Amino acid sequence: MSVLDFDYMLGLVPILLSYLPLTLGMAMAGMVLALALACGLAVIRVLRIPGLNGITLLFISFFRGTPLLVQLFLFYYGLPQVLSFLTQINGITATIMGLTLHFSAYMAESIRAAIVGVDRSQTEAALSIGMTNAQLMRRIVLPQATRVAVPTLMNYFIDMIKATSLAFTLGVTELMGATQKEAAGSFLYFEAFITVAVIYWGIVELLAWCQRRLEWRLNEAYRR
Amino acid sequence: MLRSFAMALVSAGAIAFAGGAAAEEDTLKVGMSGGYFPFTFVEQDTLKGFEVDVMEAVAEEMGTEVEFVTANFSGLFGMLESGRIDTIANQITITEEREAKYAFTQPYVYDGAQVVVKKGNEAIGGVEDLRGKTVAVNLGSNYEQLLRELPYADEIDIRTYESNIEQDTALGRVDAFVMDRVSASQVIKEKPLPLALAGQPFSEIRNALPFRDTERDRALRDQVDAALSTLREDGTLAEISEHWFGTDITRP
Repeated sequence: MSVLDFDYMLGLVPILLSYLPLTLGMAMAGMVLALALACGLAVIRVLRIPGLNGITLLFISFFRGTPLLVQLFLFYYGLPQVLSFLTQINGITATIMGLTLHFSAYMAESIRAAIVGVDRSQTEAALSIGMTNAQLMRRIVLPQATRVAVPTLMNYFIDMIKATSLAFTLGVTELMGATQKEAAGSFLYFEAFITVAVIYWGIVELLAWCQRRLEWRLNEAYRR
Repeated sequence: MLRSFAMALVSAGAIAFAGGAAAEEDTLKVGMSGGYFPFTFVEQDTLKGFEVDVMEAVAEEMGTEVEFVTANFSGLFGMLESGRIDTIANQITITEEREAKYAFTQPYVYDGAQVVVKKGNEAIGGVEDLRGKTVAVNLGSNYEQLLRELPYADEIDIRTYESNIEQDTALGRVDAFVMDRVSASQVIKEKPLPLALAGQPFSEIRNALPFRDTERDRALRDQVDAALSTLREDGTLAEISEHWFGTDITRP
């Protein structure tokens, strides 16, 4: 095999970067929605709200128990055959929906663990000085739980960014889809895929740096 | 932090909305993989190829706009089924099963299935030498079925791929791949992969555009079919074929 075609790789970078906003946009939208949903699910699980608790368990079991690709195919190609109005959902929306449901199932469990991890004595102390349940959550439990949950949640966000590479199966040309098509035109597979790998890697490294800063701030109260 | 998340959410929503709004009634929505040289592929961010040229000519003849939707090959028929595209221009071969389900236009490409091996592989001189060998085909393509119809099919180790079968054959991970003769010759001629044709094509293939089998879509199929007839008669199809292949593949 010949050596790497660097000119081709350099030319590819700006083209691929133009697909980055879509990739990151889908991941961020998915993250915000998944986080909101996961918080709801976690609270239901922690408080064991009758009725909802069972539904939540089933939800988590299903979305954690099936591959994301299967879920995406199900939403985008499967369900519209049964419910025709779902044809209106485009590939981007379906991807965001899939990411949200899939990752919220995982995130709910890590948020639940973080909440449960706050020592019981603190809850008792808060209640003994007359705090309501809502105040207890807002002032005592959640600030401490956040600190514990952030590293695992960032992990899921990183995973989510990479999971957007499945969207081309739903007709969304994102970073990976663009790379596949460019590789088909040039047949320079190694160059194309190593370029896209470095781009993903770079984004994740940037995020890891943000994570370290965020954790440093969240740990403020614990530093001496 | 929260504010920037919210901004991202809004922008993603805007992209999603713009994507939905682009789908207008009088455009012909054509699905293709964008990963099948030289029929449909991307160079410098521009979608090109034989299929692109043919469908643009068809749309011009019909007086409509054409919109190309690219997706992984395995997603294309799902998009057709769920009404997200009108047809697929990706060298779709007419088979019995597909004919029972879809309304096809006239064939616009006539071709044959071709065995391709790594350059220097003397052990395989054609389809009859595939016994005991590992053979790659594209997922969802009809070459897998063509291989399975061979009398010694159970002695062939057939591997289905999403993409990159040329690469894996060149790397020696599989002994051969089967693809249509036309694009196989093209791949060997234009791309820096050590590959060679093995023997003669072993089955005639007719490729056409599939439409859903509903009243509305059959009417659309008839319009597209009429446009194809005109383009065949005035020599446009032959011209497009000459441009990409140096030969006319649009006739038997």
